[in-house]
Amino acid sequence: MDSIRFNFPAPAIDDSVDSLRMDVRSFLQEEIRNGSFRPGTDCWCAGIDPEFSRKLGERGWIGVTWPKQYGGRELSALHRYVITEELLVAGAPVHAHWIADRQSGPLILATGSEEMKQTILPRIAAGECFVALGLSEPESGSDLASVRTRAHRVEGGWEITGTKLWSSGAQSCQYMTVLARTGERNEKKRHEGLTQFLVPLDSPGVTVRGIRDMSGVEHFNESHFEKVFVADDAVLGSVGEGWKQITSELALERSGPERFLSTFVALEKSIQQGAASMEGHQARVVGSILARIRALRAMSLGVAALLGQGQSPDVEAALVKDLGTRLEQDIIERLREFWPIQLKQNFGDELQYLLSDSLLRQPSFTLRGGTNEVLKGIVARGMGLR
Amino acid sequence: MEQTDQLILDTAYRLFSDHCGAEVVNQAEIGEPPGKLHDAVMAAGLPLAWVPEKAGGVGGSLALGFNLIRQAASFAVPVPLVDTMVANLVLAESGLEVADTWAALVFDGGQLPVVDNGTVTGVVNNAPGVVSGSLLVVPVSDQGLVRVATFAFDNLAIEESESLAGEARARVTMEGASPVQLSPVVDGMTEDGLRQFCALVRASQIAGAFEKITGLTVGYVKERQQFGRPLGKFQAIQHKVADIAGECALANAAVEQAIRMLSEHHEPFSGDNVAFLPVATAKVVTSEGAATVSRLAHQSHGAMGFSFEYPLQQYSRRIWSWREEYGSEFYWSERIGMSVANDICHGRAEAGQVWDIVSR
Repeated sequence: MDSIRFNFPAPAIDDSVDSLRMDVRSFLQEEIRNGSFRPGTDCWCAGIDPEFSRKLGERGWIGVTWPKQYGGRELSALHRYVITEELLVAGAPVHAHWIADRQSGPLILATGSEEMKQTILPRIAAGECFVALGLSEPESGSDLASVRTRAHRVEGGWEITGTKLWSSGAQSCQYMTVLARTGERNEKKRHEGLTQFLVPLDSPGVTVRGIRDMSGVEHFNESHFEKVFVADDAVLGSVGEGWKQITSELALERSGPERFLSTFVALEKSIQQGAASMEGHQARVVGSILARIRALRAMSLGVAALLGQGQSPDVEAALVKDLGTRLEQDIIERLREFWPIQLKQNFGDELQYLLSDSLLRQPSFTLRGGTNEVLKGIVARGMGLR
Repeated sequence: MEQTDQLILDTAYRLFSDHCGAEVVNQAEIGEPPGKLHDAVMAAGLPLAWVPEKAGGVGGSLALGFNLIRQAASFAVPVPLVDTMVANLVLAESGLEVADTWAALVFDGGQLPVVDNGTVTGVVNNAPGVVSGSLLVVPVSDQGLVRVATFAFDNLAIEESESLAGEARARVTMEGASPVQLSPVVDGMTEDGLRQFCALVRASQIAGAFEKITGLTVGYVKERQQFGRPLGKFQAIQHKVADIAGECALANAAVEQAIRMLSEHHEPFSGDNVAFLPVATAKVVTSEGAATVSRLAHQSHGAMGFSFEYPLQQYSRRIWSWREEYGSEFYWSERIGMSVANDICHGRAEAGQVWDIVSR
């Protein structure tokens, strides 16, 4: 019980945060007016547009919390938070840079070599360099510690062999962080002997094959590594620290607004469309959804504030993701009552497009980045039940 | 919160721990009145938490009061402390004198009784916290503006009843009744402002009860052994407990956000648009969560949780009653939906976006 905080601190929203929000908002409205992108659902996973990511980099909206010497702006986590939520609700195509901005950049900052930081981080911040996650494998999903990809020491570096699955966006990425076994497997100490490497995807021996998902998008991939050589300095942190690294990033990964706003763009459109005739039951359904979104946002911002205080709110973050991802799914099921979802072709009807696409994409919400069952297990452990 | 606020909360926590155990709560409902708790609460001045120092009160912040309310709810305090805190605050806001007894706000979220020529007429069907001898504090409507009247318990027609949880409720009927005190029109107080404030009080109580239910459930499933191991080792039970914790955390986050907003507001009873959305959110999320939390907690407890002896039922019955009061989740979610739709239709959102309203 002691490890769960039911008191979330207030986020410190000052004028600079508000004005950044307005800047991002007006930029996005302008882009939509110009037809630069078509708002899409689940845009942080399904919307890949390197050119758009580059535009964001140009405006200084990627890697904003990083040190200036590495291309960042040393802004607060809250600044990053408002940028990401504005991008999500606009349905902007942000997947290309999303993982690097959220996860790989901070990982490189914390564990990478000086050269890596100097050469790669500024390119990520510029929206020119993208990184995919190499975690899951054909035989290794929720049970991540069972990865079979191996890295052997060779002269001057390492040789990696194995297959990574479900890596979103890898086809447009220059790098992948690959979790590989570097020590002997020990059933008693399963989390030892794992190491993360930053692998350039143009290395000899790497093949990346796109996989079409059930919504028709080819965003995730199977990546095969056949005796791929990387130099010693491709090791992130120290050899054997892989497990600690991937679990320590999780609070940030799990508590962000992408865990409850993936389908907001469809909700936004439906309320706009239904506003004039809104009454009774429909108002109750819409109001109930909006209340829950507001509460989740308060909780998510509270976790961000805890992170800002240097705490590790792992359990709280797991709760945000469990509740939020179920809500994203639930929104679509509840909107069906007023806007039935039937056709694949939407004949130019934006709302139908957003709803049907949301329905086809929603099974992944409660799977990606750790299934909700795994999350509940983490909560149970935090409460002393495991 | 200020440091002094924390001191008061710590004092209250010790007081409740000493005098408000599960047995005291059960006995209060079926037998023995909680005399020691009553005396200790009064002696500590807790009912005056929100009354300014110059009016003889503690002068605590709004945040202190709401946190005290959450804490009291987590002990299922069986005296009308919360009702008296709210009634006393309304008295103080309207410039009337605060008494040294229990007080009750004769307001159930419905229409206010009407004052005309100095006398009050109207019926309040479900006034909470009315116990024998209470000072009755009645917000009344003077042609749509709010004034506050007070009455002695013996001077009004009162039909006493109990909530599902055995808390005092009463129907109060006034027909041309002459108040003891009648305030002038209270600046910045509206009928909807009172409704919102009281809704946030109930939301805070539900959030406090959720914390207690979470603690009770975790404790029980760690202790109780079946099939040779603690219930908490079963994944099916772990997932139920995780779901309870989720609703509890979500409810508390929503309540805290509303409390923060109301604390920054210079007129907490105004019921304006700034206050509306956070307060409505808190009441929707807590009231909606009550079903999930009580269902999963009872399921995890088995038959023991269904017995009167075990304390869980004091909390599940309370949240079932509190979720209905001052607007259920259905009432407030409909208002949120209509309010957002109206803002959209009348161009009161940046670029016509729901998000602009939701993210305020």
